Amino acid sequence: MKIHRFEKAWLAVSLLLIVGFIATVTYGAVGEGIEMIGDEGEEVDPTKLNEHPKFGDPGVEKTGPNEYAVYVVASQFQFTPGSFGNPIRVPTDANVTFYVTTKDVIHGFDVAGTNLNTMAIPGQVAEVTVRFDEPGEYGILCNEYCGSGHHGMEGKLVAVPKSQYEGGDGE
Amino acid sequence: MSSGTADDVVQEVDREEVDLDDGIVRELGHDEYTPIGTLVLVAVYGAILVFMWTFMYFVEFLNNGPTVVG
Amino acid sequence: MTFIDERPEVARMVRLNFTISFGALLVGGLFGMIQALHRTDVFRGFVNSQDYYTVLTGHGVLLALFFTTFFLSGLFTWGVSRSLDEPLPNATATKGWFTLMFSGATIAALTVLGGFVPSMPFKADVLFTFYAPLQAHPLFYVGLAMFLVGSWLSGLDWFRMYRSWNKKNPDKRVPLQTFMALTTMLMWYISTMGVAVEVLFFLLPWSLGIIDTVDPLLTRTLFWFFGHPVVYFWLMPAYFVWYTILPKLSGGRLFSDPLARVVFLLFLILSTPVGYHHQYLDPGIPSGFKFVAMTNTMFLLLPSLLTAFTVVASMEHGARQRGGKGYLGWLRALPWDNPAFSGSALAGLMFAAGGFSGMINAGMNINYLVHNSTWVPGHFHLTVGTATALTFMSISYWLWPQVTGKRLQHRRLAMVQPYVWFVGMTLMSNALHRGGLAGIPRRTAEPQYNNVNFETMVGSVGELRLQIGIGAILLFTSLFMFLLVMTGTWLVDRRGSIAVDGHIPAPLSGPNDSPTILDNFRVWVVLAIVLVIIAYGIPLSSMVIDGPLSPGSPPIVPV
Repeated sequence: MKIHRFEKAWLAVSLLLIVGFIATVTYGAVGEGIEMIGDEGEEVDPTKLNEHPKFGDPGVEKTGPNEYAVYVVASQFQFTPGSFGNPIRVPTDANVTFYVTTKDVIHGFDVAGTNLNTMAIPGQVAEVTVRFDEPGEYGILCNEYCGSGHHGMEGKLVAVPKSQYEGGDGE
Repeated sequence: MSSGTADDVVQEVDREEVDLDDGIVRELGHDEYTPIGTLVLVAVYGAILVFMWTFMYFVEFLNNGPTVVG
Repeated sequence: MTFIDERPEVARMVRLNFTISFGALLVGGLFGMIQALHRTDVFRGFVNSQDYYTVLTGHGVLLALFFTTFFLSGLFTWGVSRSLDEPLPNATATKGWFTLMFSGATIAALTVLGGFVPSMPFKADVLFTFYAPLQAHPLFYVGLAMFLVGSWLSGLDWFRMYRSWNKKNPDKRVPLQTFMALTTMLMWYISTMGVAVEVLFFLLPWSLGIIDTVDPLLTRTLFWFFGHPVVYFWLMPAYFVWYTILPKLSGGRLFSDPLARVVFLLFLILSTPVGYHHQYLDPGIPSGFKFVAMTNTMFLLLPSLLTAFTVVASMEHGARQRGGKGYLGWLRALPWDNPAFSGSALAGLMFAAGGFSGMINAGMNINYLVHNSTWVPGHFHLTVGTATALTFMSISYWLWPQVTGKRLQHRRLAMVQPYVWFVGMTLMSNALHRGGLAGIPRRTAEPQYNNVNFETMVGSVGELRLQIGIGAILLFTSLFMFLLVMTGTWLVDRRGSIAVDGHIPAPLSGPNDSPTILDNFRVWVVLAIVLVIIAYGIPLSSMVIDGPLSPGSPPIVPV
């Protein structure tokens, strides 16, 4: 099959680009330590979240010397905790693992202005670990259509300087 | 009859038949044509892709605050 | 001889399919403009924010499913008949699939529109993706199923026409247009398995109360099994135009027939085993399979990158035959005043940009940055919204006269229309991309939040909103111009010649220069299925083994 030499050159460039893109993403994983959300989270019964030992009483808890867990339940149309004057408060310079699920439909859990972005799917738990290097206030948005009140679904996340942080009681 | 099977030899279009000016002033066969302009354009495009990808990944993405590390 | 006189029954089916396609374009396009004005807060007087999601569902379903598929059916019916010089295999069968598709589409569309009328029980405020546990009225799923089966049957026509031709021409290579139609349909049959199982085994019985729960992750995964390859169902007919007609419109010949075949085969084998790139941020899917999807997706860039070369080389050939000279000066020699040409060329240019944002979408971990933000609609308005839609509109200027026998009316309007689209889309899409980088979410009636101030790197959110609003108005204007031309053309009487030359010259490099295995569809179908099993076999099995309906969610009908 005759391929013009210019097109062969472009084919080589294209393959290089493709490999380069894959290499960049791999660097992000291996070099920068970025992990994808996987299936590490447990499966839950979305209709019985109230009875779940963690999601029945969602919030922040301390799980180690510098480790925290945040259990978040998304629902129509709020984050618990997160919405309605109940912001999620976490410390800086610590490993904070979010466990996100939903009791009704699919929602998004997107901390605007960051790469903390995940899906809340009924029956599944999204497990994501991040570190906040700087204190700050962030908005949490639902970025997956979840019904007529979708555009009002928002919350707040506050990263408090580690020295000032007192919390993790799970409330 | 319009040309359908691609293994036909190039059919000479009877220009009088067509009342649309197709603007062709010369015919270039397979061996007479070199797509140098295409090479220039795809080279430019490739360069844009490399630049934009690098910018998007290393500036926009990696500088976008806390990222999932576990 | 004009096509309508050579093949009147074929021309009639093309006209019918195009008419439905254009009707869906009109309503879906109007909805798009309403959405753009609403979410940017430029004008919220058309609907309230709850009904916004009805508008959004209509926009997606009418445009991404009906406008595209009916056009493809018309285009391929024409292309297969023409390239094989074959009639319809059975006029009744053809009318049958068309009626099935049309009825299904109408039923689904009416259930969506029912969302505007509170007193009607039918509604489907579930968006184009209809994710469970959100639930639509059962008729929505029934309509979609009918539409889907109709589309399967349309492909049968073309396979039968090919078989009839093949018996008379056993030693000839499959003509390119037919090759493209058949490989597209083979890809469609493989990819629609996902959504067919999702709708027929899960969502429809669930909506009828036959089963109480469905597993949202499983149904979502089955949707995206289909949801990525469907974009190639939109793209391959556009490529069909760019490869087989655009060179002629440029004054030249297709640079390479064999490479066009390779491209379509790459789409056949790679379109489906990539669906997880729409689920990079989903829990419940092991990240190893997300990586497999990523590498497959990155290699799926190859057929499009190759297309860039072959199509541009074909246009350059035409430009040089028209007297063009120089490294880039030849561009000026192209027929920019011929809207069939200019629309397709501009569509291709925009696709180059859309291809880039697609590369980012493929990039697994960078998806954290763009997922569910307006970057995503920014991307797909360049691809399906321009590469497909603008190509379809512009090639209609060349094809509609041939299937109606009528001379194109309002030529000046037609000449300008593609440029209006291009400008409108440049404004809207760049703003959507940049808004996404600032964190603004998609699919949201009012992206104005108490807790968030979106920050753009350059410009401002206000300026983004303005570009989206103005862009959308220009797009709808362009669409309306197109429909005026089509309607005006349809309404005049037949009179004399149509001033369109339907002849397509042979390619510079013909199919006989390529290995015959390219025409051996079975080999490629088997390979496609193997790749799908590798990508989906284990994760889908594990979702099913723990119970196909479990973890299960009961339905939730959006208010």
